[in-house]
Amino acid sequence: MKCTKFVNLTAVTLLAVAVAAGCSRNPQAVTPLHGYKDKSVTDEVPKGPMVGDSQPIPLSGNLSGLQAAADQPAVLRDNVVYFAYDRADVRPSEGSKLDAVASYMKGGNRLVRVEGHCDERGTEEYNRSLGERRALKVREYLVRAGVSADRIDTISHGEDKPAVSGHSEAAWSKNRRAEFLLLQAPPSGVGASGPQ
Amino acid sequence: MRTLIACIVTFALTFRAFGAEDRIVIERPMDDLGFLKPIPVAISGFSGEVDSVLKNDLLFMGVINVPVDQAKYLVNGSNSDRVEGGVTDKVTKHPVMPRKGYTGGNLRSQTHALADDIAQALTQLPGIAQRKITFKVHTGPGAKEIYIADYDGHNPRAVTQDGVNVSAPCWAGRLSLFYSSYKFGNAVIFSHVLQSGQRKAIARYGGSNISPAVSPDGSKVAMILSKSGSPDLYVSDIEGGNLRQLTSTAEAESSPCWSPDGRMICYTSRERGGRPSLFKISANGGRPEVIPTPGAPIPSEPDWSPNGKWIAFTSLIGTFRIFITPSDGGRVYEVAEGEDPSWAPNSRALIYCKGPDGGKHLSLLDVPTKQFKDVPRVLESNSQPAWAR
Repeated sequence: MKCTKFVNLTAVTLLAVAVAAGCSRNPQAVTPLHGYKDKSVTDEVPKGPMVGDSQPIPLSGNLSGLQAAADQPAVLRDNVVYFAYDRADVRPSEGSKLDAVASYMKGGNRLVRVEGHCDERGTEEYNRSLGERRALKVREYLVRAGVSADRIDTISHGEDKPAVSGHSEAAWSKNRRAEFLLLQAPPSGVGASGPQ
Repeated sequence: MRTLIACIVTFALTFRAFGAEDRIVIERPMDDLGFLKPIPVAISGFSGEVDSVLKNDLLFMGVINVPVDQAKYLVNGSNSDRVEGGVTDKVTKHPVMPRKGYTGGNLRSQTHALADDIAQALTQLPGIAQRKITFKVHTGPGAKEIYIADYDGHNPRAVTQDGVNVSAPCWAGRLSLFYSSYKFGNAVIFSHVLQSGQRKAIARYGGSNISPAVSPDGSKVAMILSKSGSPDLYVSDIEGGNLRQLTSTAEAESSPCWSPDGRMICYTSRERGGRPSLFKISANGGRPEVIPTPGAPIPSEPDWSPNGKWIAFTSLIGTFRIFITPSDGGRVYEVAEGEDPSWAPNSRALIYCKGPDGGKHLSLLDVPTKQFKDVPRVLESNSQPAWAR
């Protein structure tokens, strides 16, 4: 009898603890709708050492009109860089991809465009700007890795070109990205000068 | 005694005649936020499309159609031949707006003109029914075009036919648009004269040239350029000269809009610590100030009302919602579910968009009553509306 009572009490206590732990405190009294969660920027603090913020590097515009090369090398196709929600900083986990791209670029006279993209959870012009900042942050990383800034162009497509359709984090995480596009060199020869 | 009565009557009649022709007092009670409470009128004499267009127009100008016993004013007219109408005070029978006829255009445009005149007579606010809107239309995979239409979505027509990505159209006066197009590969800001179709690249720097906003006096354009290596706020003359950088942050600025007196620019960026916020800065440059929007997180796409009092913007709380805040911020009021608001010329209605990605449509909102009316969609998805002023 006593044993049963104790077991019951424990069960009730555990249940109560479980319920209390499961109830999230929602100070804004907002009920998130299915598929969306109001995430504050501080939710996504990356773990481990951050790649440091650097000075913006101006864009000359010399590469703006260049077309994509017919053949895109696997090293550029395969090393898509992914970002945390609402962030543009390059996470340490993505560093090895950018190192591979940097090696490729230093291995020849190569011109590349970084394309920044966002998931749908932002308004259109906000995302257009955020996508550009992601592309620029990738460019800054490559420059720090020794690639000449003149060889790297940027473009943002905002949320206009998702890689994966869908309204869940599985899709969104695949859309918050920067992709690389090898550019055709202009007919007169490579425009960039200076050390690679 | 008779003389005395005669004198009193004459005096009374004279006094009455003098008072009657002098002032017509229209009561315009306001609600707690300073918007006019809807003025009740009884509309009669119109038929078919004219009748429904008139009632819809007036709704977004703070004039509502009610049964005669609840009305303060009578709107009477006809459209058997051309559209004509006038407004009288129900009780005193005094004319508030003498009967007018409209010619030219078509029945719809005549009705819009009548509606604007009625609203102006009753509310003293600018009319909205004759002002056009511009917006972005998804026409097919990867292709978007800029369209214009009547404010209620009628008579849509394509302004661009480039088959590339375009975004963020805005008005320069009522006859030209500015927008960002990927026609040259990267996003470039164009001006586009509607009548001739003539256009000119206004900002074609390296990186992204996006989110143009023309100043209310038409002399300048604000925009977001990334040529410095980060998306920053810039201002230039309307032809693109005298470019001046207003912000140089490590953050990404976006979606600028002007105060109606042209002295300030409101835009989105982040505070130190990373929180997205609305900011305002002098159009001549200087220190930006946060416009606090407590309870409306991740504010973006602001639009400053033409009377200077309010800033409407989009917030993300689960879904996109439209809020308004006084131009100094501090308090917010949710007014609709949707995004990307643009104020009507009367600072009372606004147009915005809503719906799922790939299938958005525009909608009209009467801000103080929160009544909204969806606008018929053109092709696949409509977004980024802007109302000419």
